[in-house]
Amino acid sequence: MYSCLDLSGHVVLFELGQLYPGITMEFGKTRGRVTPQELNPSSGPKPKRVPKMVGRRKKEKVKRKKNKANIEELKKEVVMDDHKLTLEELSRRYSVDLTKGLRPEKAQEILDRDGPNTLTPPPTTPEWVKFCKQLFGGFSILLWTGAILCFVAYGIQTYFNEEPTKDNLYLGIVLAVVVFITGCFSYYQEAKSSKIMESFKSMVPQQALVIRGGEKMQINVQNVVVGDLVEVKGGDRIPADIRLISAQGCKVDNSSLTGESEPQSRFPHFTHENLLETRNICFFSTNCVEGTARGIVIATGDSTVMGRIASLTSGLAVGQTPIATEIKHFIHIITMVAVFLGVSFFGLSLMLGYSWLKAVIFLIGIIVANVPEGLLVTVTVCLTLTAKRMAKKNCLVKNLEAVETLGSTSIICSDKTGTLTQNRMTVAHLWFDKTTYEADTSEEQTVNTFAKDSDTWFILARIAGLCNRADFKPDQETLPIAKRATTGDASESALLKFIEQSYSSVKEMREKSPKVAEIPFNSTNKYQISIHLREDSSQTHVLLMKGAPERILAFCSSYLLNGQEYSMDEEMKEAFQNAYLELGGLGERVLGFCFLNLPNTFSKGFKFNTDEVNFPMENFCFVGLISMIDPPRPAVPEAVCKCRSAGIKVIMVTGDHPITAKAIAKGVGIISEGTETAEDTTAQLKVHVRQIDSRDVKAIVVHGSDLKDMSSAQLDEILRNYTEIVFARTSPQQKLIIVEGCQRQGNVVAATGDGVNDSPALKKADIGIAMGITGSDVSKQAADMILLDDNFASIVTGVEEGRLIFDNLKKSIAYTLTSNIPEITPFLLFIILGIPLPLGTITILCIDLGTDMVPAISLAYESAESDIMKRAPRDPKNDKLVNYRLIGMAYGQIGMIQALAGFFTYFVILAENGFKPADLLGIRHDWENSYVNDLEDSYGQQWTFEQRKILEFTCQTGFFVSIVIVQWADLIICKTRRNSVFQQGMKNKILIFGILEETFLAAFLCYTPGMDMALRMYPLKIFWWLCAIPYSILIFIYDEVRKFAIRNHPGGWLERETYY
Amino acid sequence: MVIQKEKKSCGQVVEEWKEFVWNPRTHQFMGRTGTSWAFILLFYLVFYGFLTAMFTLTMWVMLQTVSDHTPKYQDRLATPGLMIRPKTENLDVIVNVSDTESWDQHVQKLNKFLEPYNDSIQAQKNDVCRPGRYYEQPDNGVLNYPKRACQFNRTQLGDCSGIGDPTHYGYSTGQPCVFIKMNRVINFYAGANQSMNVTCVGKRDEDAENLGSFVMFPANGNIDLMYFPYYGKKFHVNYTQPLVAVKFLNVTPNVEVNVECRINAANIATDDERDKFAGRVAFKLRINKT
Repeated sequence: MYSCLDLSGHVVLFELGQLYPGITMEFGKTRGRVTPQELNPSSGPKPKRVPKMVGRRKKEKVKRKKNKANIEELKKEVVMDDHKLTLEELSRRYSVDLTKGLRPEKAQEILDRDGPNTLTPPPTTPEWVKFCKQLFGGFSILLWTGAILCFVAYGIQTYFNEEPTKDNLYLGIVLAVVVFITGCFSYYQEAKSSKIMESFKSMVPQQALVIRGGEKMQINVQNVVVGDLVEVKGGDRIPADIRLISAQGCKVDNSSLTGESEPQSRFPHFTHENLLETRNICFFSTNCVEGTARGIVIATGDSTVMGRIASLTSGLAVGQTPIATEIKHFIHIITMVAVFLGVSFFGLSLMLGYSWLKAVIFLIGIIVANVPEGLLVTVTVCLTLTAKRMAKKNCLVKNLEAVETLGSTSIICSDKTGTLTQNRMTVAHLWFDKTTYEADTSEEQTVNTFAKDSDTWFILARIAGLCNRADFKPDQETLPIAKRATTGDASESALLKFIEQSYSSVKEMREKSPKVAEIPFNSTNKYQISIHLREDSSQTHVLLMKGAPERILAFCSSYLLNGQEYSMDEEMKEAFQNAYLELGGLGERVLGFCFLNLPNTFSKGFKFNTDEVNFPMENFCFVGLISMIDPPRPAVPEAVCKCRSAGIKVIMVTGDHPITAKAIAKGVGIISEGTETAEDTTAQLKVHVRQIDSRDVKAIVVHGSDLKDMSSAQLDEILRNYTEIVFARTSPQQKLIIVEGCQRQGNVVAATGDGVNDSPALKKADIGIAMGITGSDVSKQAADMILLDDNFASIVTGVEEGRLIFDNLKKSIAYTLTSNIPEITPFLLFIILGIPLPLGTITILCIDLGTDMVPAISLAYESAESDIMKRAPRDPKNDKLVNYRLIGMAYGQIGMIQALAGFFTYFVILAENGFKPADLLGIRHDWENSYVNDLEDSYGQQWTFEQRKILEFTCQTGFFVSIVIVQWADLIICKTRRNSVFQQGMKNKILIFGILEETFLAAFLCYTPGMDMALRMYPLKIFWWLCAIPYSILIFIYDEVRKFAIRNHPGGWLERETYY
Repeated sequence: MVIQKEKKSCGQVVEEWKEFVWNPRTHQFMGRTGTSWAFILLFYLVFYGFLTAMFTLTMWVMLQTVSDHTPKYQDRLATPGLMIRPKTENLDVIVNVSDTESWDQHVQKLNKFLEPYNDSIQAQKNDVCRPGRYYEQPDNGVLNYPKRACQFNRTQLGDCSGIGDPTHYGYSTGQPCVFIKMNRVINFYAGANQSMNVTCVGKRDEDAENLGSFVMFPANGNIDLMYFPYYGKKFHVNYTQPLVAVKFLNVTPNVEVNVECRINAANIATDDERDKFAGRVAFKLRINKT
């Protein structure tokens, strides 16, 4: 951190100068720095931004180095002082007239200086860089290396005029083409999902109402400048960070900044030291819900609180995705195998008397032969398929690798509002006649089971319906009541809907008893009164009141029980208290209701004065309580339960009140039934918190203010020791700290979020999940995945898909790698035994990029062997995608059987054409010599070069067909890792199609006229197709036996050595 | 911003490798203890032992089905190839007349090649057959009855026989003999009962000019039907392949001449695009004279 003490004694943090201009916005007289403005005396008193400019220049230099510091800083709270200033000070600082606003010229000047009021979009990677990343990232490296080695080998061959075969050249080209095409494919896939991203962006330019030179004008939001006097009204988006100077009933929705969806009132008074908490600041890109306000712009664009968070998000370093790590590990293994084989056969061929040059060509050939050409395509397609499937289940994955990350997730840090809950206040409980009734809070709200025949209920319903300012928006008659949009605040809307649903039409009710006067709710009174004409005797009035229960009770001298009025007694008061505590303890917002039939003196036409109250305000009759909550989404408890059985810890991070948070956490099962927090236990046992052994307590609710004072070690301890954790009252920045804490434990963390403020956490998390409906653009940018329906349950289906694809990728890779052995061994034996080459480059490519492709991909459609949501998340350290057991199985066992099958066919074809196996040893030299045209076979017949080459290629075709046939068996055994195929069944239609496809393709390649010219593949006698069948059966039986042993001896030697 | 992986120093890497190779704490060699190695090696020993047995079995079964007499399929040998002697590296016969060493090796090869054709050996081992017809030897119920071969005497090669030849098959005088033979194919009735012969031409016009004249032995480059069919090396032990010798009399010296010889037989196609040796043979001839 660069800091320096300026003359006025303020610590100016240059680092934050740009990011936190507010810090430097000290109301200073002179600054210790000579700046152009200072040198020019006519420029007036506006030097407050000087440090920012100095800072910016400095910052450029130190940006890289200081990135870390920035991010540390981000996690701390914002320091600004504009909210503490008096209006005069404010006016002076921004040299603006508080009624007339800036002069237009001045505004233009500032605009030129500061730039437009827009968020700098996160530095988007140029398209070509993205493309190159696809082209050269991860797996592609292996293939590129192979291609380059091929070209090197070809170069050596041509340079030294060695055998003029162009195989290496072709192989190199094919490899390059494969990587290129796959790169294009994945680039296209990603581009497609980013297209969807772009469609989220609203293109409508926002307008702002500013007052400049005393005139009101509508301007584009991007032209708003610091010091502008702006006016906002209900429905507007706040155009910049604004310090209010006047307000009328202004409420803002800060959810995109703080995550708290409850509208907060805004007024010009300074209420809190903390900028984010104080009530006289409105923040850029939040929404004004109702009322109007005027204020001075104190920050624009990237300098706003929102802008700083957004711009810093891009500075966060992101770790590798688990699948990328896996692929790296896989490349290591493959490289090791390849180099080991290559070097040992290099030595061997030298010992056999090959020339150095030949040996080097062999070395390269063997290394390249180990490259699984088709795997890149297979993996990409498998991931794409899963991404598609996830998108269908409302998880839009932005980059392919995130598909698997979700499956490895071991902790989900979830938002509460909107993700776990419906983001809609709903009546949950009623209390009247000294009884608590439960209301239906499900999304459908069909059944209502409470005493509707009680007279108290009628009165309660009338109060709730009449003493209520909310109303349905027009033209929604066709929609179910629960889905209709309303005007008014969340609680009143909840009451409105509830009454409409379980009582009668509120509209009619209001028509019958028109409202005569009302005192709206305010935070000091904490009640709301409305006076209506009575429905039964239209000449008299009734006073209806609702509000905070304790306030309501204070007005009452009687209460209603089954429609009868009784005078208030201690027993009732106690019952009330208990009910209030009970409902409050459920995290619900409780409202009390009472009424008073006004005496005849207030007959029709009486002028009620609500400012100087001219009607009775005592001896009301208490009716009951109604409590509301934002209820959990219906599918969430099940989803949380699934997570729990899947070993995934769900942590709730919310800005809400701890009690509400805990209630919802209990409701959805994040804090499971029967588990108590330390506080619960203490309350029960009546002992102090310290006396409880923290090891016995599994659940904890951490308050944001406690979190602020915690060291990372303490946080780690909490994350380690508690299985059920709720973070309440957290500031958005703390989410990042929590995510990092989880990652320190070695967890793969998924974090959800919708606000701009969440984006650092989303970026930092291994998989950031943004909300498709409520999410801000910035959060969607930062996220890896977008939840199209905002539903937590969708994450869990995503996890399931992610886990499945990990398993299936294993199978797919096992399948693909197996055929590597029958592809390499021919070359090895060609070298050491000197036999004609049993399998050529073209046929290898036909297998890897032809016949193996569809079957390998079809394994992605394989259903899970057991309930994958019942096992613990993958341990990224020990459970690798490709481990030595998989290699052992694929290379050491199944691959070897396959190779034998191929060789058997090869020897059969040669023997039946006259070359018996014994005569083949060492024949290579003459065989490959195109000038030897009278090579003798075992029968004394003589062969020209071309004749025996055709025979050789026929053998290669036979070898190829044999591999296809043994790959049938391999595919079937790769369907399962533990279960028998007979348990798993053959339900995977794509897989059956794959088997047929590879067979037809093999037959096509073998028998199509012209293939002898194009690919040098020759027709086979039918019998040669059958040679590999015994080996195919052997593979199947061997693996069934192996799996049988694994199932019957869990943890046994065979499982430890061969279960991949 | 947690840096996920610390860069390992070189020493640490070496240390890790050392520990991987031999871990003294756990007594693990390459990540496995002795027992573990024993088990896995035993497993693979048994596994591969079984595989070897299976492979051997299938191979044995297959070899049982293969006849000693004729190969099961001969469709790749429909057209027998032609080949020359002396066989040189790139099928180019280069003779430096003055440089004895340049052709001596050819002469040695030819001497060796023609030795079995010596009249004495032929008379001793082979029958005198009736020319102009196939020498068929059916088994007549006796399975794999040994077959007799027809005589091809070295003297039939005339000036190219090399018998008492001071010019060493003409190599010392720049009039070299090149021997042409047709590949053996079991049960192949070459010529389809009509006489056949070998002809040689220069490949291109200038080659024809440079080639000059040549003589052939036996006369006209004839190959007699009596040398067919061939019954395979196991049962047709002393089979003597018929030869045609070409003596190039006045090849333009110091020029490379492309010569192509082909067999003219009713059932031997000589126009295969891919196989340049099917029923024909091309070679280069160069006589260097100073």
